[in-house]
Amino acid sequence: MEISAYSPFWLIAVFYLLSGIWEVGRLLRPEGFSKQWADRLPLVAFILHSLFLLYLASRVENIPVTNLFESVVFLTWCVVAVFNGVEYLYGVPSLGAFLFPLVTVLGFWVLSLGDNLLSTPSNLSKFWLIAHTIPLFMGYAALTLTFVLSLMYLTQQRQLKHKFFGPLLLGLPSLESLDRLMWKTLSFGFPLLTLGLVFGIFWVKYSNILGPQWYMDPKVVMGTVTWLVYAALLHLRIGVTMHGSRVAMLNIAGFTLVLFTFLGTFFLGAQHGYKKISKEDTMIIKGIKE
Amino acid sequence: MNILVVGLNHKSASVEIREQLAFSPSRVTEALDRFRRCFPSSEVVILSTCNRVELYACSPKTSSEFTEEAIFDFLAGFHGIEKARFRENMYVYQDLEAVNHLFFVASSLDSMVLGESQIVGQVKEAYATACSQGATGKVFHQLFQQALNAAKEVHTHSKIAQGKVSISSVAVEFAERIFQDFSDKTVFIIGAGEMAELVLKSLVEQGVRAVMVSNRSYDRAVTLANEYGGKAVRFDSLEEELTKADIVISSTAAPHYVLHPEHIKSAMQRRKGTPMFLIDIAVPRDINPEVGKIENVYLYNIDDLQGVVSQNVEERTREVEKCRAMVEEEVEEFMAWMEEMKIVPAIARLRHHFHHVGKEELERLRPKLGNLSEEYWQEVVYTMERTLNKLLHRPLEVGKEEAKNGGGYRYVETIKKLFGIGHHQDSSSGDR
Repeated sequence: MEISAYSPFWLIAVFYLLSGIWEVGRLLRPEGFSKQWADRLPLVAFILHSLFLLYLASRVENIPVTNLFESVVFLTWCVVAVFNGVEYLYGVPSLGAFLFPLVTVLGFWVLSLGDNLLSTPSNLSKFWLIAHTIPLFMGYAALTLTFVLSLMYLTQQRQLKHKFFGPLLLGLPSLESLDRLMWKTLSFGFPLLTLGLVFGIFWVKYSNILGPQWYMDPKVVMGTVTWLVYAALLHLRIGVTMHGSRVAMLNIAGFTLVLFTFLGTFFLGAQHGYKKISKEDTMIIKGIKE
Repeated sequence: MNILVVGLNHKSASVEIREQLAFSPSRVTEALDRFRRCFPSSEVVILSTCNRVELYACSPKTSSEFTEEAIFDFLAGFHGIEKARFRENMYVYQDLEAVNHLFFVASSLDSMVLGESQIVGQVKEAYATACSQGATGKVFHQLFQQALNAAKEVHTHSKIAQGKVSISSVAVEFAERIFQDFSDKTVFIIGAGEMAELVLKSLVEQGVRAVMVSNRSYDRAVTLANEYGGKAVRFDSLEEELTKADIVISSTAAPHYVLHPEHIKSAMQRRKGTPMFLIDIAVPRDINPEVGKIENVYLYNIDDLQGVVSQNVEERTREVEKCRAMVEEEVEEFMAWMEEMKIVPAIARLRHHFHHVGKEELERLRPKLGNLSEEYWQEVVYTMERTLNKLLHRPLEVGKEEAKNGGGYRYVETIKKLFGIGHHQDSSSGDR
């Protein structure tokens, strides 16, 4: 796939950047940034993002996860979609101020990779790909929200502990509502994560795509570790009913594992997911396509 | 046109004098009526709050009876007190100064607590009462509506009304950053100082569900608990009950700490990390400051809260200059309207003069035209009126413009001279 097909994403990333700037501005200096723009910019970004995702899907005639770029476009879309859902249901003040910078960073990071593309094998079963990827991505997205909410919790807690009575304290939601939302997004994300992993296990058993030693694949290992961490977290929250800052910190730890599983395992030279395509591969793919 | 305000406020007079001159709501209408009987051609509004008593009056001419002395006499007579008792505390402003004063008052720039919102309602109320008594006219309608408008501008476009400026509201503000919903929260109040009760009251207004009270004197605890629908707790069982408390307000007169880290730590263990908000209003302090270091515990003492109050007051004070400029703009707009009002009678006479001449000429012309059909005659009349209106258009526009820029008087004099009008009774156009 040629690089030029990705260039619209620059525009989308810029819109997310502006959304982030606007939301952070509104949080820190509410009188200087109008609410109208804080509402419009993310909306425009999301509409463009959705259209771009449809375009990518129509190109590959599958869910757009055939390479790292597409996957990041899809994942960030899921994140913003879950964000919109949370905003619609609960109307969390200043959530965008923490979320959009993260989305922006992810967007620009993947764009900066340029033609250093990583691709998934093209011979994957469509059914299993969808069954494995969609729950996983939506689960990741919900856990990203949990992570962002945890950051907000720790920020608000810091304001309260240090008695900083300023726009940040007044602009962020209460600790209690953040705690409840962390719980809600976690209990939405965890079942999806589980489902995605279970489908993944069925898939490798069924098609043998990762070979007989599939359980040694770094991504599988990391995925399991992540799942265990979140399972422990849920247990603590339900069983021991732990609240407050510790839950927030565990959420952040869990999310680092998510990020590592999703992006980091590639650096370990994993077979699973994406690998760097050589020039010959590109020629072959192009040849097939032409 | 002459606008006058006579009054006193928290800065000029002590509460003893203010309360003697205050008008209760029922007496305001009586006072308005009596004032109108003394000065029949005047407009009047009485603003009486706990911080100020002010009488705004406006008369169409500078009559000899309508002076500040006369108003002092009226106040003294109405309240049945010696004039000398309050004379020194009174301020008197006229015209531009009076307008300025009202706009400042309405915008809460003259209030004890800068930016407080009550005064707008009080001014509105005072104006509405005067309206319903028929004590206001064209000038005061414009004046008060513009004043209320100025207040609205100032409140929406500046930070004068932002930030809480009382200890109890700041405490609630902090509580709102910790808890989302107060309906399932329990407040525990230890000791029963006045300030603690104020904070408790604010929290109860937010919907706090249960209130527990503990005091050295159990009877006092029971009284207070009954007042807020709570439960009195004996001082010895304080520790066990502490677990249930989401918010603790402490204000005992104890010379030493009453709550120690061990107490709170064990309570927090049983609360499984659910946050706890502690407000220590006592001096000397009741809660060991080490408590603030415990996880998920938020401890504030009186200085912390007072610090925020001072910070907010300072921020409001910083906005005053900006508000002043906004108010001045509104004042200017009103003064321009007043100037325009001055030329209105002169303009009416000028128009009358032109049309009178036209009518005379038409009357002279009619017999000369013989049996002209009615239709054609109407055409002639219409043409004459059109011509006169066209001729008048520019002088009227210039008049309004001149009036806005303060040249109303000169303008009126000029047209008087040019057209020989205004020799008869002229009430308000040019007299100063």
